[in-house]
Amino acid sequence: MEDIRMLITAFVGCIGFSLLFHLKKRHIILAALGGVLTWAVYLAGIKIVGGIFFPTLIAGVVATIYGEILARLRKAPATLYLIIAVLPLIPGSTLYYTMSYGVQKKWEMCEYFGTVTWQYALAIAIGMSLVWAVFVMFFERRNKEDK
Amino acid sequence: MREEYGREEEILCEILNMAEAMLSHGAEVNRVEDTVQRMGKAYGASQMQVFVITSSILVTMMFEDGRQITQSRRVKDVAATDFYKMEEWNALSRECCRQPIEVHRLQQEILRIEEQKHPRMYTYLGSVLGVAGFCMFFGGNIKDGVVAGVFAVLICYLQEHLQNRCPNRVVFLLLCSFVCGVGICIVAGMWQKLHVDKIMIGDIMVLIPGIALTNGVRDILIGDTISGFMRLIEALLWAGALAVGFMAAIWIVTYLGING
Repeated sequence: MEDIRMLITAFVGCIGFSLLFHLKKRHIILAALGGVLTWAVYLAGIKIVGGIFFPTLIAGVVATIYGEILARLRKAPATLYLIIAVLPLIPGSTLYYTMSYGVQKKWEMCEYFGTVTWQYALAIAIGMSLVWAVFVMFFERRNKEDK
Repeated sequence: MREEYGREEEILCEILNMAEAMLSHGAEVNRVEDTVQRMGKAYGASQMQVFVITSSILVTMMFEDGRQITQSRRVKDVAATDFYKMEEWNALSRECCRQPIEVHRLQQEILRIEEQKHPRMYTYLGSVLGVAGFCMFFGGNIKDGVVAGVFAVLICYLQEHLQNRCPNRVVFLLLCSFVCGVGICIVAGMWQKLHVDKIMIGDIMVLIPGIALTNGVRDILIGDTISGFMRLIEALLWAGALAVGFMAAIWIVTYLGING
């Protein structure tokens, strides 16, 4: 039940951000579904692997692949789909808590949330870069053949 | 030499205009570098030396006969992320790489896309939905979502009218988070069943540079080290400003005793 609530609200939130970022209408639903998919993968990851880092990494990889595939199918830059799809993973709230406890000089809590924030940010970024590297290796080669 | 498309200086200038516009509307550094590279080659350069960081663009166009043209840009104002424009420019650059168009037409096309207005309705509706959605995503109930959505409208209003007057984003975030924080605390004081922290987290989602933080780490990992660190440090500074603003609001409301 809790999971379903999160998936639905993530969908609504992603649609909101799609509008805010002026995404074309034809992309919005698919981009927001990407967000739902990412969060579902993350939740599944937590249940199977546990922790924060690896579920986020896997979800980041899935989101990036989703973005790249849809970009090719729908002839649009992958970023549009990717940014919206990883939104639920973005450590906005923990980044805020880190700074907020820092301001209150509660260093232990600050350190805890800081660590969590870095784990999210690093894991998503590593996930994105991994997929990016694989795609570049593929397509660079194909581009050279074109010439 | 491809004189038929226009003077080379003008061509490079237009390519830079486009790169600058893409960068300030939220395109990643490596995408901009890539676009400039491809466009330059399509317009007849034998080599393109491109250096882009979030705040500056430096391009040297080299030709077969040994001539070189160098131009640069300082990118100062970062506009709101706009996927619509990004997609259009991307399509335009692809089209140019396939079949270069005359430089004045290129200029017109770039301007035409730049001048597309983002409907205000979308900004407001998007913020309200985004904030309400993520407020409930982080554990708020429907009432929290509605209150957070109302404050999202306030944030949009401030972004529209206050942001341009602020000397930089830190000052804007300080003011904006302070005003919203005071508002949220007062409303929560009048209506006890609300979760102040969830409402704040929802509203913070549209202000917090979480995407910048993640993109910063990604830029560093794929080799755009300078841009990555610039984004990271900015993101931390902005998050700090938000935290100080909200803390000050909570403190003042508690001190004055208007939080019930």
